[in-house]
Amino acid sequence: MKIFIDPPNSMILFDLVERFGHEPLSSMALIQEKVDNIEVDMPPMNVTLDDVVKGLKYAGVEVPSGIRGRLAIWGPMIEAADAAIIIENPPFSFGCVGCDRSNELTKYRIKRRGIPALTVQYPSSEEEAKTMVGQIKDFLGGLKE
Amino acid sequence: MISPNSMVTPDQLVRVVQTMAPEINVKETCYGCLAESDAKTMAAVMKKVREQYGNEVFSKVRGYPVGDPRRCRAQHGTRPGFAQLEAEWETLPLIQSALDAIDAGDTAYVAPVEKKPLPVKDLKQISEAYR
Repeated sequence: MKIFIDPPNSMILFDLVERFGHEPLSSMALIQEKVDNIEVDMPPMNVTLDDVVKGLKYAGVEVPSGIRGRLAIWGPMIEAADAAIIIENPPFSFGCVGCDRSNELTKYRIKRRGIPALTVQYPSSEEEAKTMVGQIKDFLGGLKE
Repeated sequence: MISPNSMVTPDQLVRVVQTMAPEINVKETCYGCLAESDAKTMAAVMKKVREQYGNEVFSKVRGYPVGDPRRCRAQHGTRPGFAQLEAEWETLPLIQSALDAIDAGDTAYVAPVEKKPLPVKDLKQISEAYR
């Protein structure tokens, strides 16, 4: 099954989802397609006009373009996902998740789609890590086609 | 990416990954290695890596190709990806120990307490108790 991961660039989630036998939907894979298909310059040029228009489906025209640009990439992934796993409070400097409004809209879209979603916390001790990995394993194990 | 708790070195990992499939491009990095091939080959390679190194090596898909001039430090690329990897790199030993415990059959964990909003009635009682 296709699992949307949030943060969409999380290596821990990507690895765990793949390890437990599902397909993670990550921003890296989408960026890879863009890099392979059209020539992308340095980061500020990554978002094309088409992306911003696509983002209008997920965020209104009055919403800052950064949020719309992010949702242009994450929105179709949420639509394609069968389930989602969210890690709460990622470090704000963690790549594309530095924008809290985008994160809120992403969680809102997941909730509105009504797909099974699991929210976990970044662990700070071995016990917490066991809880996080155990929750993810049980969640993914309980998903049915 | 190699877990900081592991005794595997990037050099060892690169040599092993290189022998796992023909037509695979592998580059050694300070945190592990970058491997590039078609999706089918990479899936097979990752399966073999997990069999050989268990929970010591973690992986994810990368947006840019190996040695891309827009990213690679050798060519003065911007290299923003490492800051992202580093944020989770510190947590990998915890994840590794949790996966090891699950593999050993210890699947029990403490379920987190679900926080619910405080009912107004209870809040009123608390406020009145301190009046």
